[in-house]
Amino acid sequence: MTRDILLQIAQVVTVLALAPLLQGVILQWEERVQRAQGPGIFQPYRDLWKLFHKQGVVPETASFIYWIAPVVAFTCMLTVPILIPVLTNFPLPESDMGDILGGGLILTLGSFLVSLAGLDSGSAYGGVGSSRAVMLGILAEPTLILVFVGITLLAKAMLPFVVNHLLVAQPAVYWSPAHLFLVAAFFILLLVETDRLPIHSSTHIEVYMIDEARILEYSGPLLALLKWASWMKQFILYTLFSNVFLLPWGLSVQGRAAGALGAAVALFGKFLVVALAVVFIETAQSRLRYFRYQEPLAASFLLAILAIVANQLR
Amino acid sequence: MLAAHLAPLAASFFSLLAIASLLLSFVMLGSRWLKDYLVAFALQSWLIALLSAAVGYYGGYHELYLIALLTALFRGLLLPYLILRIIRRLNVDRELHERLSPSSSLVVGALLVLFAFVVATHLGSSLGLAGTVAVLALTVMLSMKLIGFLMLVVRGEALSQILALLVLENGIFLGSQILVPGMPLLIELVILFDLLVVVACFGVLVRFLVMHAGTSSAHNLRRLVG
Repeated sequence: MTRDILLQIAQVVTVLALAPLLQGVILQWEERVQRAQGPGIFQPYRDLWKLFHKQGVVPETASFIYWIAPVVAFTCMLTVPILIPVLTNFPLPESDMGDILGGGLILTLGSFLVSLAGLDSGSAYGGVGSSRAVMLGILAEPTLILVFVGITLLAKAMLPFVVNHLLVAQPAVYWSPAHLFLVAAFFILLLVETDRLPIHSSTHIEVYMIDEARILEYSGPLLALLKWASWMKQFILYTLFSNVFLLPWGLSVQGRAAGALGAAVALFGKFLVVALAVVFIETAQSRLRYFRYQEPLAASFLLAILAIVANQLR
Repeated sequence: MLAAHLAPLAASFFSLLAIASLLLSFVMLGSRWLKDYLVAFALQSWLIALLSAAVGYYGGYHELYLIALLTALFRGLLLPYLILRIIRRLNVDRELHERLSPSSSLVVGALLVLFAFVVATHLGSSLGLAGTVAVLALTVMLSMKLIGFLMLVVRGEALSQILALLVLENGIFLGSQILVPGMPLLIELVILFDLLVVVACFGVLVRFLVMHAGTSSAHNLRRLVG
């Protein structure tokens, strides 16, 4: 029991500690693909350190939402790793607090508060960023729900652990069209939700920014919290994608310390594979015009529907 | 019925091929470029040829090999080549004024697939075929037909309309390959030559259209001439 609680804490700590590293790796690889040197992979840690040691400047118009949004967003990202298989492939004591939909709800709650904070101070950029983010949310959430419905039909359960076990145990299900289409649909959502091309731009401070515009008013430690939270969100979505959908192998089965450590290393290895695909897309794809945002999301919606249709065989 | 008693591996192979051809018809729905339509149609025909060969192999119908070969040659090579010639001659390489944007038509197409799914599930359960590849084939067939009709409605270019007709026909052919694999060879041959005639006629009609109306888009034909 104590070991399980320790493992659960280890899951959260893994997400907390490795999220900036993932961002650093992706940023460096993107630069390397374009034959530039790129920042070191530990640059996000240095950024966090710098921001935490800076003084914060608060807009005069800001209300209490400005203060609570970063904290709530950060707490939400600390909560989700409890629910999903990060290191172990068996449920830990508090893992049955919520299913996949519950995890999605908490992720969305963090994003919702950041949107509110963008509107809160009344600056033009914050409003633009929030309205764009909400628009994308409106387009992306139904697809996310459909993907969850598809995975539920596949595994007859909404718990990520069950899906993981099913995919490991039955290669026929892993290679079935239903599962492959779900992977494709979720990959498009992953690109949209983690601030990547073809919808978001790769350079951050510019007119078409979305997530960056929402937090433009923040500075100092609060900005550090928000950035860290967004990297953790990326890490969590990558975890869901690789441990539940794409590469369900390589998790700790018995829950020993060595197994958990190996699972963490394996997890990061899987992320490197996913990150390679993401870097490829970021390099090969150009950013879409604002009014073509719905196209990748419509494609994702369609893939989810096809997955549900293909599911009827089983 | 073959589709009701298949080995799991064969069933999943069939379903993969069927779903992949459905996906290719969505490529047509989601793109604006006529070349994309053409490539998707050719690939779809190759997949269907592969499917009929697979049905022939698993069901023991030897004449289906011949049909697979003819499908690949006619639908996969000859028809795309003829249409490519028309595209080159026409100087039109994309849909300019679509009635429904590609992303909306993708979503409408997805809803049509859901409708086809519901219909096929009802049919399948009333025939006692629920959970077999037959229901999936029925779904794919119905949805490819509906997508063909949707393309006929929302696309203006004459070439898109030819390809929509061909997708519709591909859907029927795919369904018939899985549902009634023992169709006489002669009927299949007749259908293939029919398609050839359709494309040839359309080619002539499009040239006529360009010569007399100065456009190849159906949106510009507003006047009835008696």
